[in-house]
This record gives sequence, structure tokens and C-alpha cells, in this order.
Amino acid sequence: MFWRILLQLVRVSRTRLLLALAAVISGAAVSSALLNIHFDAERKLTQEFTTLGPNVVLSARASAGSENHGAAPLAEQSVLEVIAQNAGANTTRAIPFLYLVARANGRAVIVAGTTLSDAAQNLPWLQFERAPGALGERRACLVGAKAAAQLGGENGAALELAYGEKKVTCASVAKFSSGGAEDNQVLVPLGDAQELSGRAGKITLAQLRVKGPAQSVENAVARLAKALPAMEVRAIRQIAQAEGQILSRIRVLIFATVAMILALTALCVLSTMTALAMEHRHDVGLMKALGGEMNSVLKLFLSEIAALGVVGGLLGWAGGVWLSAWVGRQVFDTAIAPRAEVLPLTVALMTGVALAGAFPLRLLSRVRPAVILRGE
Amino acid sequence: MFLRILGESFARNPRRKLLAGAALALGMAVTTATLAVALDVGDRLAREFRALGANLLVTPQGDTLPLEIGGVDYRPVDDGAFLSEAELGKLRTIFWRLNIVGFSPFLEVPVEVAHEGHSTRTTVLGAWRGHTVAVPESGGETFVTGIDLTHPWWQVEGRWFGEESTAQTECVVGAQLARRRTIRVGEEITVRAGEQERTLLVVGLLTTGDAEEEAVVVPLAFAQQLAGRPGQFRRLLVSALTKPEDEFARRDPGKMTAEEYDRWYCTPYISAIGYQIKEVLPGTEVRTIRRVAESEGHILGRVSGLMWLVTLAALGASVLAIAATSATTVLERRGEVALMKALGAGNGMVSALFLAEQVLLAFVGGGLGYALGTGLAHVVGRTVFGMAPEMRWGVLPMILGIAAVVALAGSFVPLRRAARFAPAPILRGE
Repeated sequence: MFWRILLQLVRVSRTRLLLALAAVISGAAVSSALLNIHFDAERKLTQEFTTLGPNVVLSARASAGSENHGAAPLAEQSVLEVIAQNAGANTTRAIPFLYLVARANGRAVIVAGTTLSDAAQNLPWLQFERAPGALGERRACLVGAKAAAQLGGENGAALELAYGEKKVTCASVAKFSSGGAEDNQVLVPLGDAQELSGRAGKITLAQLRVKGPAQSVENAVARLAKALPAMEVRAIRQIAQAEGQILSRIRVLIFATVAMILALTALCVLSTMTALAMEHRHDVGLMKALGGEMNSVLKLFLSEIAALGVVGGLLGWAGGVWLSAWVGRQVFDTAIAPRAEVLPLTVALMTGVALAGAFPLRLLSRVRPAVILRGE
Repeated sequence: MFLRILGESFARNPRRKLLAGAALALGMAVTTATLAVALDVGDRLAREFRALGANLLVTPQGDTLPLEIGGVDYRPVDDGAFLSEAELGKLRTIFWRLNIVGFSPFLEVPVEVAHEGHSTRTTVLGAWRGHTVAVPESGGETFVTGIDLTHPWWQVEGRWFGEESTAQTECVVGAQLARRRTIRVGEEITVRAGEQERTLLVVGLLTTGDAEEEAVVVPLAFAQQLAGRPGQFRRLLVSALTKPEDEFARRDPGKMTAEEYDRWYCTPYISAIGYQIKEVLPGTEVRTIRRVAESEGHILGRVSGLMWLVTLAALGASVLAIAATSATTVLERRGEVALMKALGAGNGMVSALFLAEQVLLAFVGGGLGYALGTGLAHVVGRTVFGMAPEMRWGVLPMILGIAAVVALAGSFVPLRRAARFAPAPILRGE
């Protein structure tokens, strides 16, 4: 009997129910899309921060009281392996640097020995005039724009670097511009710099990027400091501090916006569902007049509305998954992965809202049927 | 007559109108609030990105090659070209002067630092901190700037030097240097450059995470004295609020039409601001510090894009909900439609009445929604950025328009259907 009445109810007010379903589906789609975005956006944005480059630097520790003749203390190149083992997951490879002041075409220039391919990849602000090509094979060097202007380096030409008596020729120049200190430098393969300066197996410092929130950076710094007590391990404050601040600001922004939209959407759906529930006033009055128990009458309508909430929630959730994937592709070029928690959350939210909308019907339990049927 | 019926219909059954109005108001509130946040997020986040420091570097044209590692230039003082400190006030006269958050000039002097019998070769870095600059042609306006604005991550244990010459010139020593030479706050160090020898009081130890920790930072005026270059500096770092670059911004201004040039000039692209700086500081080369500027543009672009799409989604959802609600309310009133037709009203009259109702409801609901949405945007803005978003009155007519269109669109189809049926069956209840 219960099911028969319920089915009749659905069949009779089909249009009205479809409209209410549309409202619930749209509310559920937005809710599920926003929840997915909220859970995933921070992770995606952290990825975007890789354009800032390295945020941890390791340098040799100068012992207290040592004479400093203007040359920075040097570390062993072997520390790079120790770094790779202890840095942890979610870090880039450590890029070594060896600095020396050499001469090219009679002028003094800072030469930085490094792994060129790593530099080109992990220092994305180096803008090359022409794609530098394979940087492991030939004796190539990367020359900053200002250095190139002063030393007369042209793309593809050779450049001779001299340090004291030693000379090293780089077979092919690739010019880049960065707007920063690198513009004044010549980047050569680490081995060439070591050969030129006679400091085999040494580096001045190493830089790497630890991806993730400020806490992961601190953890990585602590881990590396423990593994390499002879070295000074620090977060590159300029990058790490700003990144932490900006990320946390964006996190609050997304949370606040999502919370605001969810609240308002829920209220919007609530008002729609209340309108729907109020339309059942006459039916409630009629059934009471025919002798129906208030509880079973209410059970009927609440089931209808709850079913609406669940079905709308499910369909809306699916729509929301598609929507968040689309948003992810538009903004981040990768789809936003749906989270398992979002489905029960969305369905529960929509059903809750739907039932809350039906709440006024309970208030009718006290009113006499005749009053309702009269239209008051 | 028309207006009387309209008025009566609102007075008679307020509850139903209230619910429809509530749905409208809430839907429009979502749209207004997200729109307000999305429109402002670019500007607010741009300010956050200033924590990364300077995004423009100004150097003399015709300079020799700087020997710079990590923020310190190791060239001797007689090498290279210099810029004049007196010109710097002009930075606050460019078109985008209010976007210049701060700027700092630097002058390095290689010195020998003596402390407790030990001598070290290092660099003295002359800089401004909390320095007041007079702005020309502004009737006495001044601007306070320095490394606190362009290098906000520099931290000092102790305190910063005061620029006014008191009894003794104060300095701040880099933490690495201080540790190696056991220099402590309150002690004195002697710096020697060429013929000059001066004693400085250490008032703080500086940690920056970079090469400055091996240097001694002093007021720019002192470094100028030491180098024998009064009123000069080597390079200037500028921190500016910018708009992320797009295809238009990357074009060569020399090849733009007059109108395009105006548009480029009047948009705070970093290239435009750099261009304006070059206009007021002749003989300089202005470069964008790509590491800072590009990351900012990249990330701001992503966050902006995300906020806009979220706004669109919110708009879509509220549009559907409102359309559904207005369709439902019209559906309920088939009885009324039938009655009016039975009493002799034409289809046009009935439609006009209902549509007028919907439009009125849309305006009232939309207006309330705008107010509610603006209030919410204020709350969100204050919570996230510490300041409320700008009041944008232009959004109001747009919101009212959307509300009206959606309400009309929602009620259109049920009205058509109701208008087509004969009154009698509807009045009978079928």
C-alpha cells in the first residue's frame, strides 16, 4: 500500500518532481565539484611552485677562526650522493655549483661549474635564445645575456676561459637571459670548472627543491643536516618563506570560497525543496481527512523527498566529478582526481537539505485537515 | 488594473513568493560573492607575492660585467658605471607610482675587516633601510623605502642600523661572518678600504640564507664615503605590484599602434612598469627578474583561472535552481491561470501578468542577493586577505539582469503550456 501510494504520488506530480530533481542535481554537482577542487587544489598548486626553483641550499661550513682570503670554503662532490639518499621523496636532484673568477677575452667573469642539463631543467627562469640542445655531450657552456654582451659570445661559437695559467675552451655557447645574477655568469660543466681551477672533486654549494608545504621543507633540511654534519644546510629563505606564506593564503582563500558557495547553494536548494514540500499541503490535509495517521502520511512524503535527495545527490555527484575534471584540465592541464569521501558527503548533504526542506510538513501535524483543505 | 492585480497577487500569497524570492536571492548572492572574490583575487595575491622581493633590476647602461654571486657584487670600486642616488625620487612620479611597493639601491665596497686582532677580506654592502626619499614635483611628498620592502626575508638578531649619523656609524654583520670571527652584537669592528679606515659599531647579526651573510651591511651613505663615491650606487632593486603578462604584454611596444601602446602603458604589466622606470632614470638598463616575475604570473594565472571557473560553476548551479523554482511556482498556479482565462482574460494579458510578477520578484530577490553576496564577499575578503574587496556597483545591474532572465526563462515554458489548455479541465482539477 505504501509503495503504491508513493508511486502514484511520483507519477502524478512528475513535472514538479523533475524540476526539484534538477535543482538538487545542480546543487549536488556544484557541491561535489567544489569539494573535489578543495581537496586537490592545494596539491596541484604546490606543483606549480616548482617554477620558483630550488629552495634548499647546502654549503661547506667554514671552521671558526679560519683565515678567509675571500674564497668560499669548498665541499666534496661526493656529498651529492649523500644528499640524494637522504633528501627523501618529492625532491629534485641536487644541483652542484663551483664558483670561480676566470677571464674570457681579457675580462673577468664569474664562472659557475654545474650539471648543465639539471640547471636548464631546474632553473626554469633561464630563457634561452635558442633551445640549447643536448647538454651532456659536447663541451657546451651557457652564457648569461650580460656576460655574452661583454665577452662577445655568440650562439654556437666557441669561448675560451682562462684561470691563471690554465685554459678551457667551451665549444658551443648557448645564450640565456634571466634578469638575475645568472645573467653575469658563464655556466660550464662541473668537470671543466674543476679542471680550470685545479679543484678536482670540489663544489662550493648544492641546491635542490623540496616540493610540498613548509613542513616538508623543514623536515628535509633537518634530515640533510643530520646526514651531513660538516655542511651548512638551510632553506633558501627568500623562496621558502614566501612560498609558505602564499600557499597558506591561497589555501584559506579556496576554503573560504568553497565554504561560502556550499552554504549558499545548500540554502538555495533548501528553499526549492521547501517550496516543493509546501505543495503537498493539500495532499497531507486530504489524507488526514480520510483518516490517515499523521506519521504514515509524513513517512510517505519524507520518503519521496529523501529519495529525491539521494537520487539527485548521486546524479549530481557524477556531474560534479565531470565538472571538477574539466576545471582541472582548464586550469592545471591535468584533471582533478575525484576523492572517495566526496560521494557520501554530497549525497548526505543533499538528502539532509531535502529533508530539512520538508520540515514545515511536520508543523502541519497539529493543524486540522479542514483548515488545510480550505486553503489557509 | 494590471498593477492592482499584480499588487494583490503579492499580498495574497506571500509565502510562495517568499520561497521563490529566497531561492532567487540566495542564488544571486552566490554569484555576486564569488564574482567579487574572483575579480579581486589577482590584486590581493599580487601583494602577497611581494614577499618574494624585488622583480625589477636597474643597472647602469655601459656598465662592466658585475662579478656577482648570490646578491653580492665583488668588483673593485673603480670598475664599472654608477647611478645617481638623487634621481631615485622620480620613481614615485611614474604613471604606476602607486604600484611601486619599494626600491633599494646597493653599493658594494671590498674591504678588510679587523676584529680582535684578526683580519678578514670581505665586502661592505651599503643599503637603505627605512630611508626617506623626497618625491620631486609633488609638493613635499616623501616616500620611505629600503631593504625592508625589497628583501622582506632578511632577519636581524639585535636591531638594524639607524641611518642618522649618531656618535658612531652602526652596521649589521652577516651571521656566517660573525660566527667565523666570533663577532657579537655591541662589539666594534674596523673596516679598511684603500686609504680609509673606520670603526663601526655592530648592532645586529643578519641572516638571509644567501651570500649577504658573509658581508657587512651599512647605511648607503657610509659605503659611499668609504668608496669615495658620494651620492652614487651600483644597482637598484625594485618591488612592484604587477599584472601577469599575457600575449599582448609580450609584444614590442615599438611596434604597437598608438591605441595599443596606450593600453599597454596603462596596464601594470611588469614590462610597462620597467619601461616607465627607464623613462625617468635615463642611462639605465631595466630588467625583469624572471625567477620572481614569471612564477608570480604563472601561479596568479592558475589561481585566477580557478576562481573564475568556480564562479561560473556557482552561477550555473544557481541559474538551474532559480529556473526550477520559478517553473515550479508557475506550475502551481495553473488554477489561477485557468480562472483568469475563464473570466475572459486573453493569453497575452495572463502571460504579461505572470511575467511581470517574475520580473518584479527577480529584481527584489536579485537586489537582496546582491546585498547579501557583497556582505559575504566582505567577510571572505577580510578573512583571507585582511581587507574587503572593492565595491563594484557595475555588478548590480548585471545581477538583476541575470536574475530577471533566468526567472523569465524558467517560467516561460510552463506559462505557454498553461495558456494553451482550456480552462475548464484545469478548474476541475485535472
